[in-house]
Formats: sequence, C-alpha cells, structure tokens
Amino acid sequence: MGKIYQFPLLLLLSGLIGIAGGCSPTVETNQVDADFILKTVSTHTGSEGVLVNFWATWCEPCVEEFPMIVELSREYASQGLVVYFVSVDWLEEQAKVLTFLKEHGVTGLSFIKDQDSNEFIDAISEQWTGAIPFTIVFGKSTGNVVDLWEGKESKERFVSAIKKSIYESMGGS
Amino acid sequence: MLDKKITWILPLFLIAKLLGGELAIGSSIPMADVKMQDISDKEISLNEAMGEKGLLVIFSCNTCPWVHAWEDRYITLAENYVPKGIGMIAVNSNEAFREKGDGIDEMKVRAKDYGYSFYYTLDEGSRLANVFGATRTPHIFLFNKERKLVYRGAIDDNAGKPKKVKKPYLMNAMDEMLAGREAAVTSTKALGCSIKFDK
Repeated sequence: MGKIYQFPLLLLLSGLIGIAGGCSPTVETNQVDADFILKTVSTHTGSEGVLVNFWATWCEPCVEEFPMIVELSREYASQGLVVYFVSVDWLEEQAKVLTFLKEHGVTGLSFIKDQDSNEFIDAISEQWTGAIPFTIVFGKSTGNVVDLWEGKESKERFVSAIKKSIYESMGGS
Repeated sequence: MLDKKITWILPLFLIAKLLGGELAIGSSIPMADVKMQDISDKEISLNEAMGEKGLLVIFSCNTCPWVHAWEDRYITLAENYVPKGIGMIAVNSNEAFREKGDGIDEMKVRAKDYGYSFYYTLDEGSRLANVFGATRTPHIFLFNKERKLVYRGAIDDNAGKPKKVKKPYLMNAMDEMLAGREAAVTSTKALGCSIKFDK
C-alpha cells in the first residue's frame, strides 16, 4: 500500500504478484504519478495490449461500469490484454479503494494517483480533460494509444477498443 | 420566441461539436442571451449575470464530490470578487441527473444550505455545456469586461484541503484580470465528475 518511488520495483512486484486477471488472488494499490503508469504500460509493448481505467469509489458511472471491465479483463487476458485500474480518490481513501477492489475481484497491481492533477492529466493524455471515468487503450505491438474516451461506455465500445489493441494495433493518437 | 432562440443556438452548438474541445481563450461568451431557469425562479442569461469587470461561469452540480470539496471556495470567491465587479454564475448541466439530485428543487435546497449568493441556473439540454466544451464539474470559464475568455480550467490545485493550496489558479487569473494584465496561466486541468449529458 505504500508509495512507489523506484520504477524497477514495479517489475519485481509484477513478477511476484502478477497483474489484473493474473494468477494471484491478492491485490496491491500503489501511490504513483503519471510517469510511473506510462512506464508500466510500456513494459507490455510487444507482448500485451493494455487498457487503463481511471475511476473513483465515489464516481457513480465509474462504479457502474467497473464490474464489466473486470469481466472483460478476465475474458481477454488469455488473448493478451492487461487491465490496470487507477483510482483518483483522495489518498486518505486508499483503504476504501483497496476494499472496493477486493470486493470486485480485482487481483494484482493497481494504482492510486499521487500527483498534482493538472500535471497528471496532461501527462496521461492531452486529450483527457479531467472528467472521469476515463479509459485509454494501448496497442499490443506498438504501445501506441489506439482508443480513449471520457465517461461511462457500453461493453461494445470496450470490446471494440480491446480488439483494436490486441489484434489490430492500429497505432495513432 | 423559442423558435428564434433555437435557430441561432443550433449552429453554435454544431460548430462546438464539430470543433470539439473547450472554448478557446479569447472567445466571446457563447449563448450569452439564452435564458436559463435560476434558483430564484427568474430566467437569467449570461449577459444578465455579467458584472462590469467580468464574468465567472462555473459548470457545477449538486451531486459531485469534487464540487462538494471545492464548494467552500465558491463562497469565498463570491464574497471577494462580486463586490469588485465580477459577475458569478454556477450552471448545472447534468441533464441526465435531473431526477437523481440535480433538479431545480434540489438546486434551490443546496444553494440555501451552502449559502450561495450568486446565480445557480439549470442548463436545459446541457446546451451551454456543449457550446462551452465543458466536460466536468467543477469546470471554470472566466471572461473579462470585453467578454473574452481569459482563463479556463480548475479553481486551484487542492480540492480537498483548501489550506494546502499552492496554486490558486482562478484567484490569480481574477486578480490579474482586475489589474488589467493577461493571466500568466490561462488554462489548467483538474479531475472532476463527468457532466451527465442526456444520451
């Protein structure tokens, strides 16, 4: 539950506890900045597509679509999809975040934002205005962004983005 | 009357949709004459909310924790800047949440409970949010006395802890505007609840 300062530690953590949808029954939340998240995403380039969902426990549309994203993370894990959840709850709410993740069956590595929001949002994507939920999807072969959107979306939209990520890897924005 | 409004509102709305994104710095106040229902039961337009030195528009709502966290600053801003000639209006564009806490009756209750001394209007059909490119609550747009946008984005850098604010973006922009200077920072971003547009 601590704050991660050294990126290599992530690789160790990933190796030890796996990632969302992986084999470990445990979940870990770590306080990180945008740079850390993007570096984590980049470790999957060439091997997995990555979907990152930004959410909060108090955000109704986030909570509504959360179980569907967890389900999709399991469904597509064997096809090369990795899902990371990034909570933007207050840091004081980290215990609540962890409880929520456990209740929804999330396993592996998960994040909670610990950075000035103005810097954090632009570093993740200049196309993100700051509204949540926010979802960004990276291609398996290129690591480029293949899709992103703000707000709650349908399962069809998620599946379309996931397929772009793991099969088409269109690159782009 | 309504038909006349719609005929010129639609092109603006479509232009904003086509261009996408937030209203550009330097833009004039869009839809400035369109009337909205205020908590006072009067119909208020942005032109009517305009002060002699400028206008602060806050896209807000009743139901967002980020609004609740920043709401104390709404009150302080109104106390400090309305007397200096900056008009202030909060706009509720959560069209899909009218039955879930963002209806006009609930807006009246919230304004009373939290001591709003400024306009708080209902943006029917989220038209204003669409043309401003507002996406979240709170989302700030500050116009100068020439009715040009001089600042947009966040109130400050710490919603939850007002005493720990290091970057009071909006207050700085208002002070600079009143001093006749350009804002050093004209655009920022903050996390917030997505505006609940009616799909």
